[in-house]
Amino acid sequence: MSSRRSTQSGTSRITDDQIIELVSKLRQLVPEIRNRRSDKVPASKVLQETCNYIRSLHREVDDLSERLSQLLATIDADSAEASIIRSLIAQ
Amino acid sequence: MYHCVPDFEMDDDYSLPSSSGAARPRKLSLPEDEIVELLWQNGQVVMQSQNQRSMRISPPSKYGDAVIPAEQSAAREIRSSQQKQESAANQHQNLNLFMQEDEMTSWLHYPLVDDDPALEHNFCADLLYPPLHQSCNNIGNNNTNPAIRTSSVTELRPAVTVGVAASRPPIPPARMTELAGSKMQNLMHFSRQKARSIGGVDQTEPSSSKSMVVVRESTVVDSSDTPVAGPESWARSAAEASDFGDRGCATMSCGDVAGTSSAGATAKEMMSCEVTVTSSPGCSSASGEPSLKPPAEDRKRKGREAEEADCYYEDAEFESGDTKKQVRGSTSTKRSRAAEVHNLSERRRRDRINEKMRALQELIPRCNKSDKASMLDEAIEYLKSLQLQVQVVNTFLQMMSMGCGMVPMMFPGVQQYMPAMGMGIGLGMGMEMGINRPMIPFPNLLAGSALPTSAAAAHLGPRFPMPAFHMPPVPAPDPSRIQATNQSEQMLHSIGTQHTIQPRFPHFVDPYQQYIAAHQMQLPIPQNQVLAQPSSSKPNTSRGPENLENHQSGTR
Repeated sequence: MSSRRSTQSGTSRITDDQIIELVSKLRQLVPEIRNRRSDKVPASKVLQETCNYIRSLHREVDDLSERLSQLLATIDADSAEASIIRSLIAQ
Repeated sequence: MYHCVPDFEMDDDYSLPSSSGAARPRKLSLPEDEIVELLWQNGQVVMQSQNQRSMRISPPSKYGDAVIPAEQSAAREIRSSQQKQESAANQHQNLNLFMQEDEMTSWLHYPLVDDDPALEHNFCADLLYPPLHQSCNNIGNNNTNPAIRTSSVTELRPAVTVGVAASRPPIPPARMTELAGSKMQNLMHFSRQKARSIGGVDQTEPSSSKSMVVVRESTVVDSSDTPVAGPESWARSAAEASDFGDRGCATMSCGDVAGTSSAGATAKEMMSCEVTVTSSPGCSSASGEPSLKPPAEDRKRKGREAEEADCYYEDAEFESGDTKKQVRGSTSTKRSRAAEVHNLSERRRRDRINEKMRALQELIPRCNKSDKASMLDEAIEYLKSLQLQVQVVNTFLQMMSMGCGMVPMMFPGVQQYMPAMGMGIGLGMGMEMGINRPMIPFPNLLAGSALPTSAAAAHLGPRFPMPAFHMPPVPAPDPSRIQATNQSEQMLHSIGTQHTIQPRFPHFVDPYQQYIAAHQMQLPIPQNQVLAQPSSSKPNTSRGPENLENHQSGTR
């Protein structure tokens, strides 16, 4: 860990504790890792899972947006629902 | 050591025609020297031996004399110089040993020559060099005369001891290790050979010499079948060698020698010693190549081994493999190696993590942070917002799928903060939440509380979080639970009442905003996520500070 401070001068002045804390937060968010024993999950694994999770969420959002779009087409554009959908898709 | 050679040659002139023999007898002759002496003593040769000795004795300090009988030769050996003379003497002695008296007579005339070709082969070959092996062989050959040896050995022992003792004081420090009488001479010769072969490796040279000395001694001892004397002299030499502070080579060589105290192992010892010696030069040479090691490792090693002079040892070990390591046996090298390995693995781990961080950074939109901590922070926020967004959309779709009428107008849209949300929104959200929230604790309130709840919700509108909890009871059941028609009716009523209120559904600005809103709204999440949600949302009930927080974070 100490090597981080010394070797990675340009990128990180942060301590490893910060990293650990953040990694733990991520771990809690990512469902896959959440159920595992936290102490056994290495940081690289957490990061990997986070990336995968974000990608999956992206896909899901895209899919949902698609559905919303389809839904929007079917309903009255002036309806509240349409507004909602539009707002949702706008994200 | 070869400076003696010329002298030897001279001797050869009168003694041995084979120059090589001069060299050989040095080492091999040691044991034989002893033996020879005995023979001489016992036999006619005595006189000659005496002569020999006298010859040698005269310049004791000058030569290393193999020629001199064991005792004296020991003294001679200690002297660095006259290997040749020694060899000559050795040869003489050897000749004596193997030769019968007849031979000895001839030997007298040809001190070096005689013994014969056999001896010459044995000794000369060995002496000359490549010969460590040969010497071993020779030694073995020498061993073939156990009878003679044993007798000679026994006699020699005391002689050797004496000789050794006598020779010690005058022995120059370099030669100290070679106390074992004639053996020492041979050893010295070998060590010199080695030194030369090594070609200027100062460090190794002394060590090699020592090791050689040790080896030789052991070898000699074995050949002479003097278990007692051997170990003694050998131990002495070993001790001396270690005294010189040669950590690796001498020790190892001694160790190897010690390991094989049996007579039969002489060859092995020789070989091992050679290995040791060669390895030491290898080490020293390796030390010259620190660049081979990754710079990181060097940095680490420097820190650790600053005090250690063995840096090169480590390199050597690293390069030469386990052999050196075993030889060294020093904890420092092992430790350094372990540390190096650790550093390597650590570096690999770091690289992996950095790679993952970069990948993560690419996934996060508008991430311009170069700092790892801030980047991770953003990643966390983004991930939460994404999750929220997905939940919202899913919920909305569920609502929609349940029936258009069921869709709350006030979709918990996020961006707006509690204060901005009107009653309607609060109601809507409440409904929304209620519908999707299996956790709603008061489903029973649905029935009668629709309107009042609405009112209450309206009243509580500003306090968004609160209504969220309270509202649920009104619509209560989530879509999955909407089996109770009355409940759904309640919802409809609620919705209906809400219809009048223009849906000021929040605008989903972006995932972050949504994220923020989600916090505020406590969006109902899919059932499977409900459990998780409450944990994060409950604290949200105390909205105020959090909303502000979210707002601030959302606006970044």
